[in-house]
Amino acid sequence: MRDLCRAAVGAATGSGASYADARAVVARTQNVATKNGRVENVSDIEGEGIGVRVLVDGAWGFACDRRLTEDGARDAALRATAFARAAGGRGERALAPLAAQSGSYRTPVERDPFEVSLADKVALCLRAEEALRHDDVKVTSAAVRAQREDKILVTSDGAEIEHELIESGGGIDAIAVGDGAYQMRSYPSAHGGSSAQAGWEYVEELGLEREAPRVGEQAAALLRADECPSGRMTVVINAEQMLMQMHESVGHPTELDRVYGTEAAYAGTSFVKPSDLGSLRYGSEKMNITADSTTPHGLGTFAFDDEGVPAAREPIVAEGVLRGFLTSRETAARIGSGSGGSMRADGWNRMPLIRMTNLHLEPGEGTLDDLLADVDEGIYLDTNKSWSIDDKRLNFQFGTQIAWEIRDGKLGRMLRDATYTGITPEFWALLDAVAGPEAWRMQGLTNCGKGQPGQGAHVSHGASPARFRNVQVGVKA
Amino acid sequence: LTRVGDVAAGALAAVTDGDAEALAISERSGLARFASSEVHQPTLIENVAVTLKIVRDGRIGAAVTNRIDDQGLADLAARAGEAAESAVAEEDYPGLAPPAPLPEVEGFDPAVAELGADDQARLARSAIEAADGIEVYGFFTSGTTEIAFASTTGVRADQAMTDATTLVIAAADGMSGYAESSSWSKAGIDPAAVAREAAEKAEKTRGAGTIEPGAYRTVLDRYAVADLLFWFSFDAFGALGLLEERSYVTGRIGEKVFDEKVSIADDALDARGYPKAFDFEGTPKQRVELIEQGVARGVVWDRTSAARAGSEQTATGHAPPAPLRQYGALPFSLSLAGGEAESVDELCELVGDGLYVTRVHYVGIVHPREGVLTGMTRDGTFRIRDGKIAEPLVNLRFTAAVPQILADVPGLTKSPRLVNTNDFYGERYPLGALAPALATAHFNITGTGSEPGI
Repeated sequence: MRDLCRAAVGAATGSGASYADARAVVARTQNVATKNGRVENVSDIEGEGIGVRVLVDGAWGFACDRRLTEDGARDAALRATAFARAAGGRGERALAPLAAQSGSYRTPVERDPFEVSLADKVALCLRAEEALRHDDVKVTSAAVRAQREDKILVTSDGAEIEHELIESGGGIDAIAVGDGAYQMRSYPSAHGGSSAQAGWEYVEELGLEREAPRVGEQAAALLRADECPSGRMTVVINAEQMLMQMHESVGHPTELDRVYGTEAAYAGTSFVKPSDLGSLRYGSEKMNITADSTTPHGLGTFAFDDEGVPAAREPIVAEGVLRGFLTSRETAARIGSGSGGSMRADGWNRMPLIRMTNLHLEPGEGTLDDLLADVDEGIYLDTNKSWSIDDKRLNFQFGTQIAWEIRDGKLGRMLRDATYTGITPEFWALLDAVAGPEAWRMQGLTNCGKGQPGQGAHVSHGASPARFRNVQVGVKA
Repeated sequence: LTRVGDVAAGALAAVTDGDAEALAISERSGLARFASSEVHQPTLIENVAVTLKIVRDGRIGAAVTNRIDDQGLADLAARAGEAAESAVAEEDYPGLAPPAPLPEVEGFDPAVAELGADDQARLARSAIEAADGIEVYGFFTSGTTEIAFASTTGVRADQAMTDATTLVIAAADGMSGYAESSSWSKAGIDPAAVAREAAEKAEKTRGAGTIEPGAYRTVLDRYAVADLLFWFSFDAFGALGLLEERSYVTGRIGEKVFDEKVSIADDALDARGYPKAFDFEGTPKQRVELIEQGVARGVVWDRTSAARAGSEQTATGHAPPAPLRQYGALPFSLSLAGGEAESVDELCELVGDGLYVTRVHYVGIVHPREGVLTGMTRDGTFRIRDGKIAEPLVNLRFTAAVPQILADVPGLTKSPRLVNTNDFYGERYPLGALAPALATAHFNITGTGSEPGI
């Protein structure tokens, strides 16, 4: 594959590209899903190919070919070059300087998830599902996944980099139905569970069977729970929902391509301006957000990004002030700061875009109980149910699967259908406490969308429970 | 181009044990994406992928590959076989689809298939140049998708489809407008007209004001209608949504649920949309009445969900690809019937005092069973006063139940138009909804956001 990438880069530069990179990718994914005791999906998906990105007279071009052959590599390079010429540009695009890089990286795993048979994966799902059962639970489901991606990147700047990235993950859901009501509980998170860059040991540590009885019981109990009240109040948000809060209201708006408007046609732009770097008060002094492509087990962990920029840990928000952006070589050069490091492509047939790597809310101090203890009246919000945010990442509304009343510093009755809403910097200014490292949890999402044509990214986020004062809760239709 | 029929047949031939179906799909596409009136992400894609589903004694497994040589297909059969062996037999497994006559559909235009990278770049530029000084963000894309199906029950089916979409946001500080046009035929491609529509709308959005949250009479233009219907239908009009009781129509089939002016079908046979002859199980596509003059009539079915329904229900040709089987049948050719209004202006007259919404953004499902959605308006939100579009508004957050939106509909425009609903993730497969603009007596605004613009 390395030779094919070299051939592609050579063909591109030989036909006039001032810069070229080629990624050859071989990927395989296994998905197992069961529902109500039936096996709904056992699938084994593979795909391979080469993608070539070029700069010609200041214009980008990208083309790909499924054939991992010299003909395929060369054809992709020449088509990318031709498309760049046809597209045209306004002149040269600068890329942040980068020394030639070489290296390789393999996800450390204790147990290769592809060594676990599909039959064992099915059996695990069925056992977890069985443990979810409850009289009021109408639908039980479980799913596990494994993924391996081998890729080689060669650039005309001299990078030659090899990755073998392995992911494992899983999750369970229980849906209770009664008297026209419909309630769902999930573990370890909603929307397909959680994944990590790790071996099968990650799925085993999730303890899907162990957690299932609680999940089923909570789904059933939600049918009889009171509706979450409306009003402005203190909320304590658990780590799982904090991941979504951070992803949508900090991660996306600090992607520098969005800031410059190049995502306007799909995902939108950002309320953050390039000139805000170093001065924008994003939130309270308790707010510390870090982008870290070196986090062990993170889905956004690598040795080098898809432009060949080495992995790094960088502050995005420090003590409430904007300190960094997620960047590419092009946007880093444009803003005159940094060198990129957040470029990733969804497989061989998409061009790299700025994507979140691993974005974390740094822990504060104390425990969840400590956070609750300082609340006379409030709501504890747990596990994302719905999410929406505007095109500039300002006005958001989230719903959670479950909530509890907080009264006199302790959790009280269970509440259903909780929602909360806010404006990003106003909301983060209300942050007054983050629990400590003992309560810090990382989870991995596999459904972050961006780009045209669409690309999915796998990202991890870590957070501890956090407390916000005076938040608008309970939005009604 | 690779003959996808040969790929499907080759995959089927590699199966040594059990029933099987193979579905091959090829994509040849170009997408010229632009921002700040410059093409910045032009992407050319060529791929052929084949999905093989093997069934052994009621146990079902699937595998996918894009290695389509003999060894690749042999490996595919081995992996699909292992997947099937790992599954548990389904007691009510209905078997593979039998051969059946397929409907004749349109949906392929050689003139679109012939568009190459030069044409895609040229058509993107024509949108950029037509915006008359306002910077534009969007894309022009065209592509050809060929799909072929073969099974051990003797089904053989294939179809070639073309699709083309122009999407334009014209925007600057404090102003933005949106337009989109999709078609499978070259006659429907006019990027300059799309850009002009977006630019004209953008010019009217300067100086956006705000309003108080509350319920408003509202005109939802076709882009907003298509998006809201798409998200509502995911739970409401699929078979599993009905069987699992998360659908709004659960327990309401045969009841009047919406205004009598509302009729919704799933109709992949309609030449105004993106026509398709068969689904991912090889079952012929049928038009399915979902809502007829306000009365809930049914949902769409695949073979598995129809068997689980346990009655005389049959598949309607809405099976998803085998690796997405757990989602069940889904309606991806939605069609909302038009009404009597000649224009959006006429709908504004019916509304009198209220809002006009061009499109919605980032829709989330708040309560599936009640059909409650939330999202933001974007790229052209206006006040309606005295029956006419008046001053522009900032982007608005809505939290609204679709059944409430459709419960009182003063009017719809006469001619539904195709609105793209494809985000172009994964393999290309043309998707769109036929939607008119619609006036509603109730659209619930729950917050305000930023002003329009970049």
